[in-house]
Amino acid sequence: MNPAQFLREGFVEIREHLGRTVLQTLGVILGVASVVATLGMTASMDARRDQYFRESGGTRLMGVYNQPPGELEMTARQRAKTGLKLEDAAAIRRTIDGFDLVVAEIARSHRVRAGATEESFRITAIEPEFGRMRELAMGSGRYITDHDMETAAAVVVLGSTRARELFGTADPVGKAVNIDGKAYTVVGVTAEKVFFWQENDTYNAHEWLNRLIVVPITSYMKRHQEPGAERIDELNLRLRSPEVHKESRDALEQLLRSRHGIEDFGVWDRQERIEQGNREGMIYNITFLACGVISLLVGGIVITNIMLASFTERMREVGVRKALGATGWQVFVQFLIEAIVVTVFGGAMGLALGIVFTFGIMTVMNMPMAITASMIAVSVISATVVGFFFGLYPAVKASRLDPVVALRYE
Amino acid sequence: MQTLMKLEGITKVYGEGELSVEALRGVDLEIGVGDYLAVMGPSGSGKSTLMHILGLLDTPTAGSYLLDGEEVAGFSRRKLAHLRNRKIGFIFQNFNLLPRASLLRNVELPLLYGGMGRKERRQLAYEALGKVHLADRARHRPNELSGGQRQRGAIARAIVGSPSVIMADEPTGNLDQQTGIEILELFDELRAGGQTLIMVTHDPNIAARARETIRIVDGLILPNGQEAAA
Repeated sequence: MNPAQFLREGFVEIREHLGRTVLQTLGVILGVASVVATLGMTASMDARRDQYFRESGGTRLMGVYNQPPGELEMTARQRAKTGLKLEDAAAIRRTIDGFDLVVAEIARSHRVRAGATEESFRITAIEPEFGRMRELAMGSGRYITDHDMETAAAVVVLGSTRARELFGTADPVGKAVNIDGKAYTVVGVTAEKVFFWQENDTYNAHEWLNRLIVVPITSYMKRHQEPGAERIDELNLRLRSPEVHKESRDALEQLLRSRHGIEDFGVWDRQERIEQGNREGMIYNITFLACGVISLLVGGIVITNIMLASFTERMREVGVRKALGATGWQVFVQFLIEAIVVTVFGGAMGLALGIVFTFGIMTVMNMPMAITASMIAVSVISATVVGFFFGLYPAVKASRLDPVVALRYE
Repeated sequence: MQTLMKLEGITKVYGEGELSVEALRGVDLEIGVGDYLAVMGPSGSGKSTLMHILGLLDTPTAGSYLLDGEEVAGFSRRKLAHLRNRKIGFIFQNFNLLPRASLLRNVELPLLYGGMGRKERRQLAYEALGKVHLADRARHRPNELSGGQRQRGAIARAIVGSPSVIMADEPTGNLDQQTGIEILELFDELRAGGQTLIMVTHDPNIAARARETIRIVDGLILPNGQEAAA
């Protein structure tokens, strides 16, 4: 008997006892559904998170911010050296190959006036690569250029929300903006960036980018800081590739420590944050998966039980098969494959149920649905494994049945 | 006449010690190729045990059993299964067709276990069903057939692999008289074709159709012509 014939016997078993098969595999169905739903929801949320990161500069972003230790812990010499400086950005570009973008940033609040509107807004002074780093597109005009940097040009680029707040519906490009009494010309407005974690959410996760008022860092230092001041607030960095993450971060921290003589900075790191998120998410996944596995085990025991119960009804069949020349091995394989076919059938139903469940939850949460190959693989493999292990005992029992005893069975 | 089965001093003991039961007590029997043998005897006489041993479903406790000149008494279960598949066709009183399979699949079963390919299997199964006049019922399930049709189906299953011997255990026991006669006529046809047949029966009228009848009482075959005292 070849495997196809054994499989056929398994399908006949399902067809003949559909109701019993469904009941028999209920544990497997629920177990697989639970596992699939866990994987599905995790995959959906991961996909959403990846989308967020992709739209806001990717997972390769890193940043350094000032985090001075207490004054008492520092010597006067250290105090003089502390804090991020524009020169740190240059040093990183020079010595660490792992970053392809390095952007210095100063962000402070100033009085901003445009026409009749005057309000206190945060001004972000950056280098031109910032736009590329944050995947900003232009709504109108242009972004900050290297030329603006070199000439410390009095130009400003507005985020879409700020443009509306300052100029209403009019196109601000070419118009004047006054920042703390210094005149700037608007050269561009960035296109509105939108990202809602859930579709009917009111919180736009990218809104902060729409609220930027951006000027070249050289212009800012020239107009709003004391001559010779060189401190900056933050360094934005982008890794050349995810592979160089660890070595580049180590090199970055080492460089800044040696330049500052003290650890006066903190590092935020998207990749690290994702890993941390994954670790935190894992505990939920493990809980759900454990429920699924327990359900699968219970399902397996039910299958063994029902196979043993239906065994007496099939004793004569085993006797007939043996009388016709079936070997113990052939009977064993037939019973085992039947058990596996039945559980894989349950696994398929569990997969469908899990997908429906995930789809329902994701619809309620207004999140996209993700079906991954791992969901299908897990359902098929776990069902096969359950069928194999819990089908073993009834299969061995059937294979060892004495044909004379089996034929006499009434 | 060529010998097909030769039993010498076959005993079969069930259980151990004081509880042991001697079902066969030194049976000697020789069956030739083409024989048509009826085995008669009262209940508990040992005729079923003898059939099981002849049919390789059971092994004797002692004695020698040559099948086609091959000593089979010490064979493994696996080897016995192969021999059953190739050399023996069974017909049971209650037909024992698999209820979930079509008649065709039932008839194909011995060939399936013998490892034959689908196309050849199908062809032989149809031929066997043709011999018992059931080719048009091939796709029917046993519960869609009459008793006589079921037994004819079982006969088709027994003969499909061209076994050396067909062993029938009360083949007409569950059939009305007319249908029983039809089955026996089929046996006559098989016999005429040179098929060796061994049939267990209670009924002397049925046994009378066999070429030779043996009677078994208390685990022993009675000498020719001697009727059971009981």
